[in-house]
Amino acid sequence: MIELGVLALRLALAGAIYAAIAATVGARLRRSDVVGSSRAAAYVVQALVVLAAAVLLRALLQHDFSLEYVAAYSSSTLPTQYTVAALWGGQQGSLLFWVLILTSMSSLVHLQNRHRNEALMPYVTTTLMTTAVFFLGLLVFVTDPFQRLPVAAREGADLNPLLQNYWMMIHPPSLYLGYVGCSVPFAFAIAALASGRLGDVWIRTTRRWTLFAWFFLTVGNLLGARWAYEVLGWGGYWAWDPVENAAFMPWLACTAFLHSVMIQEKRDMLKMWNMVLVLLTFTLTIFGTFLTRSGVVSSVHSFTQSGLGPFFIGFLVTVITVSVTLLVVRRPLLRSDNEIDSFLSREAAFLFNNLLLVGIAFATFWGTVFPVISEAVRGIKITVGPPFFNKVNAPLGLALLFMTGVGPVIAWRRASARNLRRSFTTPLAMGFAAGVVLFALGVRHYYAIISFSLAGFVLTTISLEFYRGTRARQALMGEPPATALAHLVNKNRRRYGGYIVHVGVVMAFIGIAASSAFRIEEQRTMRSGESIEVGGYTLTYKGLRHTDTPHVASMLAEMEVARGDRVIATMFPEKRFYKRQQQPTTEVALRMTWREDLYLVLGSYDDQSGLMTLQVFINPLVVWIWLGGILMVLGTVIVVMPTAAEQRALAAALAVEERGLAAWSQ
Amino acid sequence: MNKNRRFAIGASIIVAAVAYLVYTGIRETSVYYLTIDEFLSRREAVAGEGLRVAGRVAADSMRWNPSTLDLRFRLANFQGSGGVDVTYNGVLPDMFAEGRDVIVEGTYARDGMFRARTLLTSCPSKYEAEVPKS
Repeated sequence: MIELGVLALRLALAGAIYAAIAATVGARLRRSDVVGSSRAAAYVVQALVVLAAAVLLRALLQHDFSLEYVAAYSSSTLPTQYTVAALWGGQQGSLLFWVLILTSMSSLVHLQNRHRNEALMPYVTTTLMTTAVFFLGLLVFVTDPFQRLPVAAREGADLNPLLQNYWMMIHPPSLYLGYVGCSVPFAFAIAALASGRLGDVWIRTTRRWTLFAWFFLTVGNLLGARWAYEVLGWGGYWAWDPVENAAFMPWLACTAFLHSVMIQEKRDMLKMWNMVLVLLTFTLTIFGTFLTRSGVVSSVHSFTQSGLGPFFIGFLVTVITVSVTLLVVRRPLLRSDNEIDSFLSREAAFLFNNLLLVGIAFATFWGTVFPVISEAVRGIKITVGPPFFNKVNAPLGLALLFMTGVGPVIAWRRASARNLRRSFTTPLAMGFAAGVVLFALGVRHYYAIISFSLAGFVLTTISLEFYRGTRARQALMGEPPATALAHLVNKNRRRYGGYIVHVGVVMAFIGIAASSAFRIEEQRTMRSGESIEVGGYTLTYKGLRHTDTPHVASMLAEMEVARGDRVIATMFPEKRFYKRQQQPTTEVALRMTWREDLYLVLGSYDDQSGLMTLQVFINPLVVWIWLGGILMVLGTVIVVMPTAAEQRALAAALAVEERGLAAWSQ
Repeated sequence: MNKNRRFAIGASIIVAAVAYLVYTGIRETSVYYLTIDEFLSRREAVAGEGLRVAGRVAADSMRWNPSTLDLRFRLANFQGSGGVDVTYNGVLPDMFAEGRDVIVEGTYARDGMFRARTLLTSCPSKYEAEVPKS
């Protein structure tokens, strides 16, 4: 069976190499049979990768400890769902999983475009398959998932306990879907550059793919934050760790791209900039994989030390060289006749939003790689931690929040005084009022006041949009308010779905601002029966409890939680010992309400005396971040649903392209 | 002034703001990242500065008082020799133990004591697990 997996990977590599070469050669020679064979090869590559992944999964489920991978990342007592998750829990498996997603998306792209985009598709095939060649090459020559042990192990070392968690099961697949999803718009961008067909066909064709990638990047980041919050047990959800930054940077670039693309669609501007952004996004996904896979930047959850670094650098250099060369060669075709007319216009607002997003990405990048750079340049390793990222990104983030309110409602080309008054008078007043109220209530944390004011401003602009749109429909169509609202959203899904995403972003901002500004932290060593008061809660320690299963042993502290005289909950912060890995892990006890989270950590304990050290965190409004995430998901789903108008625009763009193609081949 | 130039100025204001924030951010928040051997050879020069030092917790050096959360240990190099005394107050990370590789973050005073604000444990077997020998 295992030999089948090995063979499948080798054949997949050969197939991908063939597809990558045949597609472009076929296109150059105008040999449609050769191009057709490359498409067939791409499908076959996917089938082979699916087979290889199935073989590895089967080995995991059958606990075949003669395989190094199975012995290293699973055990016979590991619950089944985590045994499946072990497929992407280790290095070789995660790279295989990556290729699995990439080749599946490639097949989907080929299927979607089997009757259209004939000029672009060969180069798309080449780009996607070249990326597959890189990852398959790693799997075949460098880090083989089917490596056998000299002697089969009797038992596996088990999956890292930190990964034996619900969120960890769904976080990596989600992030990978986002990462790999970015390669589709990238492939089309490269195809547009290579073929010289730089109209908006590639953008309209990939819009949904970009949204798909963005959706999963967003979900992946949020799930990662949620995992860190519940599993790492330090009371927070984001530590600006290199691995987190690796997932955050492509998200920023992708967000910028999603916005600036609208300017190209509406005004035929920023073509060059859009190209740069889509290339940057893809480069950052590869860079992110490099960061997590190479161990070049030491990280709190520095997951890997491996020899993959140089290969990734090589691939990155190739990607950047090819991209930049194509950009330079095609520069004349990327010029735009239009220019921005005024600072007070939607074009300008989007441009500034883009600069802020890229600025945040740059600052994050710089802080992440600074230790490596300083060591190379000055010979001393200098690191920056969360204070750096917070200090730099907080003001940029607030400026971005402000633009979230301005961008969608300011007029195109040049905003008139009337447009500005109508759009912004009430929101500015509301934002200002929110700040004044907070100040009057005694809040003196200025970052928090500014954040909440801006949130008030943005939420008012969005509410006004919904309100005015609904009123207009009511007046025009005579519909009742609820129907009018539903139709309003349904007829303009992109616009109003986008607003819903923005409301989610604002809620996340509110949660982040409140939980960083007003968090309460306390630690205390307690005797059984002792109580402490923290932030209005009375926590009484009732003693230790012990549980045991073959896989894991636990020590739990029973904590009675009261507000005033009323007992509201009993919580069990816990230490676990995963028996195979001989390592204690912390299980947080969490009580979430929409106002605040009570977050208890069992720091340490003494079995004999019953002494126990408890850490208490009270994190206000953290739930708002997750609710904001749900709204972002919901809004994106609304945006992605196709509308008739959009289908017509794509069809029209394709028709223009076909006419051009016909004229060109005559 | 032509429009493009005006925009170039607007954009460069944002770029300059980002550059300024990054520059001051690095200057104010950066800490030296040293191995214990590098630290020992230049400890006088870096006294009082923000430091991150990587080393190993020396055997039989850990004094931990669970009721006051006071910890003292010796941070030695990876051969277990040399080292500096470290004090810390707080809950211990899950994987903190004698013989483990750790990173301490804090400042070194001329009295010879390293006062750690944060302890980070780096576990080599975290993701890349060792395969048990059968």
